[in-house]
Parts: sequence; C-alpha cells; structure tokens
Amino acid sequence: MKSFIVLSTAAFAFAFNLGFVCADETCSSPYLARIDGQEEFVYVWTLGVEGLGDGADKLVTVDVKPGSPNYGKVVSSISVDGRNEAHHGGFTDDRHQLWLAGLDTSRVFIFDVYTDPAKPKLVKTIDNFAETTGGAMGPHGAYPLPGRVLIPCLSNSKDKGGRTALVEYGNDGNYIATHWLPTKEDARGATNANLADGYCYDARVLPRKNALLTSSFTGWNNYMRDFGKLTADSEAMKHFGSTMVMWDFHTRQPKKIFQVAGAPLEIRWAWDPKHNYAFTATALASKLWLVYADDRGEWQAKEVAPISDVKGGVLPVDISLSADDKTLFVDGFGDGKCRVFDVSDPQQPKQIYEKQIGKQVNMVSQSWDGKRLYFTSSLLAQWDKKGADNEQFLRAYTWDGKELKPAFDLDFTALKLGRAHHMLFGSSKLGPNRTVARN
Amino acid sequence: MRELIFALALLLGVISSPTGGELLSRDGDHDYEAPLPGSYNLPVVKVAPDGALVDSNGKSVNLRDLIRGRVTILSFIYTRCAAPKACPYATGVLSQLHRVSQDDSALAKNLRLVSLSFDPEYDTPQRLATYSEGINDEKSGCDWRFATAKSRAELENILNAYGQAVDKRSNPNDPQGPLYHILRVFLIDRDGRIRNIYSSGTLDPRLVLSDVKTLLLEETKLSKR
Repeated sequence: MKSFIVLSTAAFAFAFNLGFVCADETCSSPYLARIDGQEEFVYVWTLGVEGLGDGADKLVTVDVKPGSPNYGKVVSSISVDGRNEAHHGGFTDDRHQLWLAGLDTSRVFIFDVYTDPAKPKLVKTIDNFAETTGGAMGPHGAYPLPGRVLIPCLSNSKDKGGRTALVEYGNDGNYIATHWLPTKEDARGATNANLADGYCYDARVLPRKNALLTSSFTGWNNYMRDFGKLTADSEAMKHFGSTMVMWDFHTRQPKKIFQVAGAPLEIRWAWDPKHNYAFTATALASKLWLVYADDRGEWQAKEVAPISDVKGGVLPVDISLSADDKTLFVDGFGDGKCRVFDVSDPQQPKQIYEKQIGKQVNMVSQSWDGKRLYFTSSLLAQWDKKGADNEQFLRAYTWDGKELKPAFDLDFTALKLGRAHHMLFGSSKLGPNRTVARN
Repeated sequence: MRELIFALALLLGVISSPTGGELLSRDGDHDYEAPLPGSYNLPVVKVAPDGALVDSNGKSVNLRDLIRGRVTILSFIYTRCAAPKACPYATGVLSQLHRVSQDDSALAKNLRLVSLSFDPEYDTPQRLATYSEGINDEKSGCDWRFATAKSRAELENILNAYGQAVDKRSNPNDPQGPLYHILRVFLIDRDGRIRNIYSSGTLDPRLVLSDVKTLLLEETKLSKR
C-alpha cells in the first residue's frame, strides 16, 4: 500500500486536529453544507390566513444582504396548495433543497433553493406521508443527514394522539424508514422504559458521540385545537409529552428515556468539541433543562434554571445557542419577550438581559457570528393570540453582547402574507467550509 | 513544509501499527463504541444508479458491474483534493478498510472498494493508475478499483443520480483544490442497493466495517431461510 495511500491515511488523522470556521445559523445540523460569510436571505415558512392575500401557506424570501437595495424587503413569495399548518422545515445536507412541512395535512413541500436562492421553486410535494410511513403524521420539520432527511413527527393517523415516529426520506424524496418512539409496551431495550410516552418534537444529533436526542410535545388532537379551549380541558392537557429520549444514532435504537416534565421542545447541542451537552426548554413548565454526559460518560438530564418568575410561566418556545456556547436566547410566546441567559456554566444559567420583541414571539434564528438575530411571531394557527395581540412579523435585530437593537421590521399581516413561522438562512455562496462541519 | 513532513512522519509511525484493531479505535472525534454487526438494520435507501466509466486500466466498464456481486464501498473523490476532511480523509478510511481485509478472508472475498473520480479531465486513467499504484498488487485484501466517468455528460448524470454536489471554486489555485464538494461515500449491498450514505461526520471506519459485516450477516440469515 504505497506512498499515496499511506499519505492519505496520515492526512485523515491529521485533519481532525485542524481548527474550523463556520458561517450560517447556529442551530443548524452539523451535516449541513455551510454558507460562506453572512446570510443573504431569510426564508420564512408562513401560515396562510383565510381572507388575507391568497390565504395559502407560502415560502417568503427576505433579502438581508448588507447594502442591498432590497435589504429588509420581501423579494419572493411562493404559495403552496392551501393551508397545511405550516410549521418547520430544513435543508437537505447539500443545501440544494428546502423541505417544508405541514402539521395538519402532513404534506411536505420540497423547494429548490440552489438554482436561484433568491427565488426558490417548488419542485415536489409529498402528499401521501401517513400512508407511506405506516401511520406517522404531523411532520414537524426536516433535519439534514448525509444524503437523507430525518423528519420528527408529532402524531399518528390512527388516533391522532401523541404517539409518533421519526421518519427518513432520501434527498430525492424516496421514503426510507420509520422509527417509532419507544413506549412502555415497546421500549425496544431503552432504560427507564416505565417513563416512555411515545411522543416526539425535535430530533438533533451530536455526531462525535453518536448521539441522537429527541424531545416531546403533543398530538394532532391538541395542536390543532383552539388554545383557550385546550387549556380549559384538563383531560386534554394530560396528553403532552414529558420525556426526552437518547438514541444510538447509527442504529436508530432508543437507549435511555429521561423524564422532562412539561413538553420539552427545541434541542440545541453545544458546538465545542469538548462540550457534551444540550439545552432544551419546557413549554408548559417554563424551565431550562440540560442533557449532559456525566463524569462516567453516562447521559443525564436535569433542570438547571427557571425561565422567568411569571406565575403560570411564559410558554417558552424557540431557543438559540451562540456558536461559542456561552449565550442562550429564549423566546417566551406568552409575554413576547426574548430572555438572554449566560450559559458559560451550563449547569447554572443566569439571565442577563430581556427584550420585548412583540405581543407574541415564537422563533429565533441567530447568525454564526452572534451579531444578528431574527424573530418571528406565530406558534400555531389555533394557538396564536387573538385580536390586536395577534401581531405577525419578521423582526431583525443586532446583538452586541449587551443589547438587542432593531434592524428592520416586516409586518406580515400588512403585507398580506400570513403568520410568520420558521426561518432558515439562504445564500448564493456555499463556501469552502461545506466539508468541515463537525460536532 | 519541513514541519508538515515531520508531522506526517510522526503520524505514519502511529498509523503503521500492524493490526487492524489498532487502526480502528475509538478516539475523540468518534467517542463511542461502534455497534455490534447484525444488531441493527440498514434499510434500503434506493437502487444504486448506473453509469458508463473508464477504469484505471483505460477499460470501459459500467458502474453497475463494479457495485454488484460484492458488498461495495463507493467513494466519490478527485485526486487534486487537498481538503483534509474530504477526499484524503475518505481515501484514508478506505485504506484502513483495505488493511483490515488483509487479515479477514471473508472481507477480502466479499468486499470491494471503488474510488470514483468526478474530475475526469484531470484524473485520466493513467493518473488514476499512478494514484492507486500498488494497491492491486497486494496478494491479499479486498478488491479496490479506481475509475472515472467516460464523459462529462456521463459524469453529470452519475453525480445527479447519487446526489454528489460538486462546484468549481472561484479560485482554481485554491490550496484545498479547484473543486468544492460535499463528501459522499455509499454502502451498497451485493444486489446493487444503497444501504447507507456517509459524510465526513459519519465516515467512521468502525461504523463502515460494522455496516459491511451487518450486510454479510444479513445474507447469511437470508440464505438459511
């Protein structure tokens, strides 16, 4: 095995000792091709509103290139068929496609964002999701894996409750596999089987530890119901997830179940190669939780901080961890505030700042350099606030480490677009960092 | 440069350790125990696409003929690549697998490695032959083929079918090489079906080896039915 092969082997080992630089959004998959430099577009997956514009769900593209004459303006809006309860989405790992999911209809809309990132084009719709996947429904988003996407679901077509699955599709839209969340009756070897509830929400991978972590929310019966009526129904309120599951990522086998009361939603793994932990926030209990490897390398989960002292909580929703793992932004849907925590010591987060973003706020996306943050307003069509409190926006801010300052504000109601939900960054520049993503 | 050569020489001292077990060990970048072969399933992703190739001997060959009959690891590369987490890394992993197969007759007999260049204008059969010099002179170890597309048009079809993104860098003299590309390595079963896709984050030689053995065990189970 002569000189070249030996040299390649040496370079292979050497490569892991090199530093790396990333652009992009901080909460993106480590498998995702990176954009080079600052984001040029923010894609907003937007819920249609009856009587507003064409009333359909749409992918809205906003120009955020510095110095662009269109900075802070909508440059493209592509409607899909009807209203599907637009929720989350994600790119394929090569960043050629953006998959956007509908929680109600279980349809997945696949856009080409590579040919012209300023004008995405709908190229395919998956409209037989439940039939194909063996009954999984409520696709929540799309998480890029090598050559495929992982779609965590929220519900099932049998009883439309919270028992659900992780689903895999290939990048070209072919179905691959369904992995049901563990239940008490079928824990598939996971420890703490007595805790298993079968629910899911987010799914995120830490490749270095071969760890896949999932969180839990609720099923179609609850997320499609009017929020006021839901919270008044004590029986319905029992049907929320209170678990997280650690999986062997490679084998897709559940390994350990944690009790995390109150619907743990978004998962954010730390980025530092020595930081073996992830944060989540519980929507119904208003707590920050840490899932971490202890001194023996065993995965544990613990509550590490309250999110506000508001009685009844603030319904924390999206969270965003800075690329240096020091700062965590936490959106409270209930009071419309973003709270900023110093998480330098992940076991002891400390709130250092808060900002009123709107009368309601859901998603937050942060640039890799930590200087720009974008916020949107909608949670679920039936859960958004009513009347004057139902603000629908994309708001951009700058962050200097101490203060959020407004950059631009788009009123999605005045623009007849709808309810602004999930944001993803786009760019015409897929940079040299595309092959060095790691975690 | 001298420092780099010295660093590589030091690494060679480590990497030239004699046993496959030492080659495929847990480290900080792959900080977990690899799963036992046969303890999990590898669902079919899709049928591996075909394409017209020319191999390092200058012979015309169909891709399907290289990926059938054995469990295959197909790695898309180009020889000018100097991005450390890309082609050199992938070829390093294949090299490790080849070494392991030298001490494992089942692997030597049932595994094939294929390195397929997406830079046919530069990676001529002659260059590929030089690049792979010595590999197939080994008396033991699995088959390892090097090839490229027969034409630019054929290459585009293959890249699209496999989802292998390749773009030109704005600076053709970029020290990492003239092309951007996402790392793609495919596990293909004996019937020509893709069973796993690896990128730089998942191309752990221990996982690949476990996957290969899982497919071989799957065949054994099927043959007993």
